[in-house]
Amino acid sequence: MPKIEIKDLNVHFDDNHALKGVNIEIEERMITAIIGPSGCGKSTFIRCINRMNDLVPKCRVEGKVIVDGQDIYDKAVDPTEIRKHIGMVFQKPNPFPKSIFENIAYAPKIHGCKDEKDQNKTRKCTKKELQDTVEWSLKRAALWEEVKDRLGKSAYDLSGGQQQRLCIARALSIKPEIVLFDEPCSALDPIATAKIEDLLIDLKKDYTVIIVTHNMQQAARVADKTAYFYLGSLIEFGDTKQIFEKPREKLTEQYITGRMG
Amino acid sequence: MFGLFRTCALIVVLALVVIIGYVFINGIGKWSVNFFTQDPRPDLHGALVLGGIFSPLIGTLMLMLLVLVIAIPVGVLGALFLVEYWGSSRTSRAWWIVVNNLAGVPSIVWGLLGVALLVYYLQFGLSLIAAAITLSLLVLPLIMVATKEAVEAVPSSLREASISLGATKWQTIRHHVLPYSASGILTGIILSLARAGGETAPILVTGVAVNAGIPGSLSDQFQALPYYIYLMTQTTNRTQAYGMAYGAALVLILLIIGLSLTAIILRARYREKYRW
Repeated sequence: MPKIEIKDLNVHFDDNHALKGVNIEIEERMITAIIGPSGCGKSTFIRCINRMNDLVPKCRVEGKVIVDGQDIYDKAVDPTEIRKHIGMVFQKPNPFPKSIFENIAYAPKIHGCKDEKDQNKTRKCTKKELQDTVEWSLKRAALWEEVKDRLGKSAYDLSGGQQQRLCIARALSIKPEIVLFDEPCSALDPIATAKIEDLLIDLKKDYTVIIVTHNMQQAARVADKTAYFYLGSLIEFGDTKQIFEKPREKLTEQYITGRMG
Repeated sequence: MFGLFRTCALIVVLALVVIIGYVFINGIGKWSVNFFTQDPRPDLHGALVLGGIFSPLIGTLMLMLLVLVIAIPVGVLGALFLVEYWGSSRTSRAWWIVVNNLAGVPSIVWGLLGVALLVYYLQFGLSLIAAAITLSLLVLPLIMVATKEAVEAVPSSLREASISLGATKWQTIRHHVLPYSASGILTGIILSLARAGGETAPILVTGVAVNAGIPGSLSDQFQALPYYIYLMTQTTNRTQAYGMAYGAALVLILLIIGLSLTAIILRARYREKYRW
């Protein structure tokens, strides 16, 4: 069964039809890249998967987004519950103006930790549990060695690339199974970008990763599957190798070869 | 050309120095322990030019405290609701135009509203509470506009980060938006307090009285520094009265400078703590 199954997804912003009947199935523990020219609906698409589009006024989402067998747009679903299980990393690093520690401890603090006696209940996390989560998340995001001696320092003392890895660590702190990346390297230099790409490949062992990127080489380097969007439609979806070497659609070929976009 | 700029700058600075300096020179001589601990006492003609400013000072401080208690929750929460929950809808924008215009309404008009609505219609009577509510209404638009601007200055990327971690809207406001905008909100609050402490017209019609003493309850009348200064300019015993007026004016000015300084210090503290 696919991790995420999207059926006939349509998104309207006021009178702008931003996504047009998208159908796609996303596999578990793989990196799926979303590529396409600016304004093709890449970001809109990825923001449907954790219901971030709910924040946009006049945004209307139709269709089904089924995560682990549950339609997250079902009326009975609480979007904040959905977001507790899906991590997201944004275009520009956006750490909270707090310490490195506080950035990562925030989500565990508000969600609480599982009670040992009753697994369905949550209680306030102990200090030890918070410290463990912070260390685990930072290690998972390959940042621990660089910041372990200055966890109390402001997150804004870090470099851009470190800030973005901090944001990845923060996204992992909620122990998600899916992590969404919305152009995570667009504000970073090549060295910082390379570090994030290595990290992405490492993360797919445990997570289902979806990454929006306007950098085709990046998609080719890291992704197992690639989806090409154009003007709000999913044009082609397949193995990354196939998309880049033998695209089936004329539009995909034009974009890949740089004749458009 | 530059000479003109310099002259203008000089006029601004000079005006300030002259006013504060003049009040200081004329007022400081009146300061003494008795000036601060005694109530105003009448002279032979019945004018309250003797004694000190104890009861007007306490009245002004009580008034400011009440404004703090009434106007801040209403203003801050009201503005938060309008910005965060009503967003940029047309009704909300219309509402902000109203709020902005209310900030420019002359204070005597607020006084009129206070006396008609609170004192007589709602039968609060001429009282401390009627004056405090009137002043609260007067500073409400200031607090709301300051809150709005501070809250809107928090980048949307930080809100998104919080929401994407599964925080609710209220948690996002409570844990992020409010702390990050606290310096701007605090500045607005403190400047509003200074404004409330210096207003004369609204309290004149809603509850201040010549010799009320210190109010024992919210429904009592009270004295206040601005009103005391006004009274001093109305007496015939000018030599004595003007000295008292300058002494009181100096207290009022220092009170307001003190509040402004607090605002500046708090803002600097928060800027240092939450920068992005």
